[in-house]
This record gives sequence, structure tokens and C-alpha cells, in this order.
Amino acid sequence: MSTHAASAPTAIAAAPAPAGSNASKALGIGIASIFATVLGLALPGNASAVAVGWLVAIVFWTAIAIGMLMLIMIHHLSDAGWSVVVRRQFEHGISAFKWLLLLFVPLLLATWLGKGDAVWPWGNLNHVLHGTETVGEDAAYWHKSPVLNILSFSALSVFLYGFLILVSARLRKASFTQDVDGDVKWSHQSHATSASCIALTALALTGIAFFWIMSLEYHWGSTIYGMWFFSDCIRGALSVGLLVQLWLFARGDFKGILSSRHLHCIGIFIHAFTAFWAYVAVCQYILIWSSNLTEETFWYNIRELNHDGSTNQWWWVGIALILLNFLVPFLLLLSYKTKITIYKIAPVAFAILATTLLDLTYNILPVLKNAYGDAQPFLSLNLLWILTSVIGVGGVCVWSYFKSFASTKLIPIRDPRIAECLANHE
Amino acid sequence: MAEQPYGLIATFDTASGVYHAAETVRDAGYKNWDCITPYPVHGLDKAMGLKRSLVPVFSLAGGIGGVIAGVGLIYFTAAIDYKLILAGRPFFSPIPAIPVIVELGIALSAFSAVAGMIVLCRFPMLYHPVLKSDRIISALDDKYLIVIEACDPMFSPTRTKDLLEKLGGLDVKELEA
Repeated sequence: MSTHAASAPTAIAAAPAPAGSNASKALGIGIASIFATVLGLALPGNASAVAVGWLVAIVFWTAIAIGMLMLIMIHHLSDAGWSVVVRRQFEHGISAFKWLLLLFVPLLLATWLGKGDAVWPWGNLNHVLHGTETVGEDAAYWHKSPVLNILSFSALSVFLYGFLILVSARLRKASFTQDVDGDVKWSHQSHATSASCIALTALALTGIAFFWIMSLEYHWGSTIYGMWFFSDCIRGALSVGLLVQLWLFARGDFKGILSSRHLHCIGIFIHAFTAFWAYVAVCQYILIWSSNLTEETFWYNIRELNHDGSTNQWWWVGIALILLNFLVPFLLLLSYKTKITIYKIAPVAFAILATTLLDLTYNILPVLKNAYGDAQPFLSLNLLWILTSVIGVGGVCVWSYFKSFASTKLIPIRDPRIAECLANHE
Repeated sequence: MAEQPYGLIATFDTASGVYHAAETVRDAGYKNWDCITPYPVHGLDKAMGLKRSLVPVFSLAGGIGGVIAGVGLIYFTAAIDYKLILAGRPFFSPIPAIPVIVELGIALSAFSAVAGMIVLCRFPMLYHPVLKSDRIISALDDKYLIVIEACDPMFSPTRTKDLLEKLGGLDVKELEA
């Protein structure tokens, strides 16, 4: 292997067009939206709804960033050729972890400074469960209390973010430095980083799924939950990566770089992980349906029935997920034409981002209960706080992306496999 | 009268030579012809005007068949042929049928993809006239061939030969059937 990709067309890969105005625009929208979310706290009795909406947004954007990190590591481990160009966009995306940590801190503060159950019910020993006993009277809680207490939880959350920040920084530095000196040792270093950290990252994302989402109903457990979260991470990251590439193509930067083969490859991945999401989600459902144990079925019952046995709105959300998060994109992506035609694949990618958000909402929002212990209806003001939070956190993430985007080359011009990626034919 | 030849064979020395010749043969309207190269030449499929393979259609048909078979199997066994009351569940529910549907769908789509490939390649093909030519050896090494079959509606022993020679084809000869 030569140390320099001599044949790479360096002329087209000069520093990209200024992204400064985009960056400040994104940050402005983000901060305005965060401000709107904060206004929601002023409504009486609304603090929990806003906090849970904020959690949905944090989880959504963290999932996308984790998916990008996983895809970068999978790229290095499989020594892939086709994905060198999109990898650089992912490397910009994972710069957001430190800001996500900063935006996660308000949830920890609300837990420490409030009664403790602003988001996670187990944070307050006096929180009333299902109208009868409190968390403090619940033997199941005390069994899990070594990890489900505010101190362990906060330490663990900061630790998980810290790990993601460190791994991301190492991979970013190796890639960006290679742009300058073209030394192949950076590729070898990234191989080693990926090999040693991919399993740990999988554990980290499982930890996030378990502690942030699953613990909202701490009586309930699903061992496959980490894989469910992983499928959302990867699909979100792939969809964002695809849309960013299409945006760069439309802007002109990626003319002559992006080929239909690249679109085909990323489309195949989105298709595969659409099937993977369904596989994991259905595994979880079948096992719980088959064993029919009260301590497991209640999680789905909350999302189907009210206490009086009537069907609630979440049942329809579940049906919508089956159709829109699996069946429709699965059938659309079967076709080669869909994958390589820009005006066909772009709406699919947007739709997958929307349904991924819906999937996370389905898993998180029913923690908000009404006086009867039923989940609060799906169509409610709570959606507004999710929307403002998603735009708010997203604005900061996009700002972080643009900042990183402006700091380096458009594509990794001296990656040993860049020529292979640019000459990627079917 | 001599037996109808299989077709005409022409040799090219360079990949770009065979590539541009293929474009012209494609534009001339020939359908039954092929390029033989020692390695996959990028973009040659486009230069030849080849369409995408039909294997996905076989695969899709097999997958749909598998899904129908899976639903049918579970419905027939559980709700018609051998009704069992299990933990108060309905005789037929799509949920326990999902693994069977998925497995049969995947299995049959994979089988029919392989079968479709075999059918479309017209396997098993135990003999091919091109193998009789000595030139096939050099086409496995450093030469490029174009073979235009006599069964092509556009084929004419003289005009096709002129075309291949004009495109830079060396040693254009008839191939014995």
C-alpha cells in the first residue's frame, strides 16, 4: 500500500465553501427553540412533560451521533472502500457529543434539584406507582437501587458521554491529521481504535438504552433493548449521512464525487437496518406475547389499553410504526431505482428520521401518566415540547457539524482508499 | 451449402478499443453479441447497453410466495386442521406465525434467486462455440474479444465484418458453430 493516494484528485477537494453563516443560523434556530422549550416550564404542572420531551430529543440526536460513530468504526474494521467519502461527514457529526453532554446536564440538574422524579420515577422514593405503593415501598426497586439511584445514574451518564467523546476525538484527529501529512499510520491507528472500542461502544449504547429509556418503567426488562436502540441509531445516522451527501451534491461540492453506486450502497444499508429494526422489535414483542407474564405484558398494555380496557391512542402509534417504520420503507427500498434516484430516496430518508423519532417517542413518552395510571394521550401538548426540544438540540448539533465541516477538507483526500472510493463503479 | 457459422469474432488489443467498439456495436442495434475480457472492465456493461439483471424479480416472486406459504401453513395447521386451545390464545394469530413467514420468505427468495440466475444464464451449458477458437486463451490473458452471433437479426457476414474491421477489430473471422 502506498502511503500517499497519489491518484486522488486533490484539486476538487480544496477547503469547502464557507459554512459560517449556516452554522450561526443553525445555532440561532436551536437557541430560540430551546428558549421556547424553557417557556413551557412556566405552564403549571408541565415540568415533567417538558423534561420528558427534552429526553426524547437528547436520545434522538445522541442516537444519530452514536450511529455515526458505529458506522465509522465498522468502516475501519471492514477496511471499506466505498464509504471513505461519507465517513468524513460522519466524522463531523460525532463532534456533537460534548454539546449533547452539556444539553443532558439540565435533566440531571432537574433530578438533583427537584423531587427527583422529573423524568425517571425511581428518582423519588415517594413517587406513587400505579396508584397504590410508592417507589420506596417497592421491593423490586430496592433490588435495582445500586444502579438506579441519582448518584450512580449521573456518574454513569457522564461516564458514557465521556467515553463517546474520547473515542470520537481520537478517530477525528487521526482522520484530519492524515489530510495534512498523508501518513498511512493514521489509518492503522483508526483500525486499532475501532477494534478495541467497537464492543465498548455497543455496551455504551446498551447502557444508554437501559438506563435512560428502559428504566422509565423499571419493573420491565427486555434483554434485546440495546439492539433495538442500535437499529434506531444506525438508521438515523445512515439517513442523515445520505441527506447530507445529497445536500452537498445539490450545492455542487459533491459533483464528480457522489456516484449512483454510493447511493446504492447506503440505500442497501438503510434497507438492511429497516429489516433489522423489525426483526428486533418483533423478537421483543413475540417473546413477551408468548410467555404472557403480567410483569412484562404491562409495558405493551400501557401502549394499547386504558385502565377500563378501551383502546388508547398509543395502539395506533404502534400500528403506524409497523407500517411506516418497517413495511412501507422496506417495500420501497426493495427497488434499485428508489435507492439511486435522488427525488425518491430523499423522502424515504426524511420519513425514516421522522419514524425513528416516533419510535423513540413511543418508548419514552408513555412514562407520563394521568390520574388513572394510563399513559397520557399521544396527541397532546407533550408533542409540542418534543418538537421544540428536537429542533433546539438539533440546532446545536447541526451548528457543531458546520463548525467541524469548515475546519477541514471536504473529503479525506489522503486516505489510502480514497481513489478506490471515487472510482467506485457497479 | 456450408453450415451457418456461429458468428464473427474480432480481437482488440486494448480495453479502450473494445470499450469504444462496444459502444458502436450497441448503437448499430445488435442484440445477440458479447464481449470477452480477461478482467471486468468498468463501465463496459453500459457501453454494451446491458440492462440490469432480472434476478431480483425472481427473488421477489419467491419471497412473496414464501410469505403466502408461511401464512397458509400456520393458518391451515393451527386454525383448520388441528385446533388446540393454548393458554386462551386465538387459534390463528399473526404473531406466532411471523418467524415461519420470515424464514420461508427468506428461504424461498434465496432459492429462487439462485434458480433465476441458473435459468437466465441458461445453465447447464456444457459447450459453447467460442471455446473452440484458439483466441479464447489470449482473451484470458491480455486480449479483448467481441463476438457477434449469426442469430442476431442485424447480422450479415459481410456488413458485420466490415463494421468490426472499421472499429479496429483485428483478425475478424467466422466462428464454427
